[in-house]
Amino acid sequence: MARSITMGQYIPGVSIIHQLNPRFKLLTLVLILALLFLLETFGALVVSLGMALALFAMAGVPFKYLLRGLRPVLYISIFALIIYFFFTSGGVVLFRIGFLTVESEGGEQGIFIIARLVVLVLFSLLVTLTTTPLSLTHGMAYFLSPLQRLGLPTEEVAMIMAVALRFIPTLMEESQRLMRAQLARGADFETGSIFKRARNLVPLIVPLFVSAFRRADELAIAMEARGFRIGAKRTRMQDDLITFKDWAALVITLALIVLVLIFNL
Amino acid sequence: MYIGTEQLTHTYMPGTPFATKALQDITFSLQQGCFALIIGPSGSGKSTLIQHLNGLLKPTAGRVFFAGQSIGSDKQALLGLRKKIGLVFQMPEEQFFAETVYDEIAFAPRNQGLTENEVEERVNNAFEKTGLQSASLLKRHPFQLSAGQKRLVAIAAVLSLNPEVLILDEPTVALDLDSRDHLFNLLAQLNQEEGLTIIISTHHLDHVAALADTALVLKQGQLMLAGSLDEVFSRRKALYEMGLSLPAVTEIMHSLAERGLPVSTCVYTMQKAKQEILAAKKRG
Repeated sequence: MARSITMGQYIPGVSIIHQLNPRFKLLTLVLILALLFLLETFGALVVSLGMALALFAMAGVPFKYLLRGLRPVLYISIFALIIYFFFTSGGVVLFRIGFLTVESEGGEQGIFIIARLVVLVLFSLLVTLTTTPLSLTHGMAYFLSPLQRLGLPTEEVAMIMAVALRFIPTLMEESQRLMRAQLARGADFETGSIFKRARNLVPLIVPLFVSAFRRADELAIAMEARGFRIGAKRTRMQDDLITFKDWAALVITLALIVLVLIFNL
Repeated sequence: MYIGTEQLTHTYMPGTPFATKALQDITFSLQQGCFALIIGPSGSGKSTLIQHLNGLLKPTAGRVFFAGQSIGSDKQALLGLRKKIGLVFQMPEEQFFAETVYDEIAFAPRNQGLTENEVEERVNNAFEKTGLQSASLLKRHPFQLSAGQKRLVAIAAVLSLNPEVLILDEPTVALDLDSRDHLFNLLAQLNQEEGLTIIISTHHLDHVAALADTALVLKQGQLMLAGSLDEVFSRRKALYEMGLSLPAVTEIMHSLAERGLPVSTCVYTMQKAKQEILAAKKRG
């Protein structure tokens, strides 16, 4: 049964954002993140938020994925807001609770920090939602490749990452299949004390390990049969070509960064 | 109207960009005690359909029924159901986890909370049915067995549930010919002597055809043909267009009939073919 399983956060698409070279996406992401840390005015933040949303619209990513990606930020935001409200002084006194005074300065700062965090997460989400984990890995390996001079095996690390990513959906599917197979034999994974439940996982974990090791062996043999050697120069079947679009995206990003910095004044 | 489905539809990962419709509007019912084949090329939804029959997968739409009752999602009812409907997955020996063959077969009855005496009886009973020789095997590690023995142990591990219905997903995949024949004999015996309802999914029609009486044909998640084996196999052209070929013996009989030899084409074994041809020669 060949059936695709969500891998990381990637959502397939054909938009221009999807087509961009992962190296350029990572580079522009780093530039934008650096920019966000320089921002000091709400005006500039609003403009960058607008940019992020415009890019999401271009990528054609459904709105619910955007909300889902922001959910983890919510708790940090609430926490940060409370801290800022109570422990920053300055501005107009809003109200007092016992010895704590809540002043407007803290609220403003808190909201600003959270807004920055949201925009930051949005830009990062845009990259992870439109780039396959494999492309991202290769993009990162490219930027890390200078470390090879220091003797770090970045190519091999990228290879390990790629293999791991490749097998996550396989193992997920396998564990679901095994779970159903043992359920069919009357297994119980949901009731009982925590110890009983842990013991009940044995019929799942043992076969999963057996098959993972078998797959690893088979993969190693298959790779060697095709001439894989540690340290050899590797090429990719689908190299991420750098096109005019990538340069254009970089130039546009730089222009927008300048624009946002003007708003920041 | 013993076991079957009504307008069963199943979509994997609904509501995401990865949604795939695996089954569409499947309606069929099987008689108690039948020996049914679910036929279709790989990816046609056979495994998905099979896993609905004992409630492992939930329908996206439609319903599944067994013995006059809808299969719902009540946990207790499902546990009860899975005692009556045994399901042997594809490559079932990949589920082995126990240290001995005995423990492997005992897993299902132990999960039912039987006493060790009852468990032992179930294990011995299931082990004997499979026709595995020598009880010393029970003390071996399951991984030490041959491929054919492993498959039989995996089937015994489901038979120890004492099911009324035995469903097997591609039971002969990766088996040698002797093991396959042994397995088919076992299934025929369970069907005829023990009265088990047997449902097999397969895309390879040689050999199983001689055992079965009913057939369902799936293609891309849709039920294309259903009925008695003879009816379904008489639609040779339709099957051919779906990438399925009749058993070799049946193909030969069709060819002979086309060339004017007055033989029946509902022939699924060599023996029957020989009789038919000799009889036709005598008449001619």
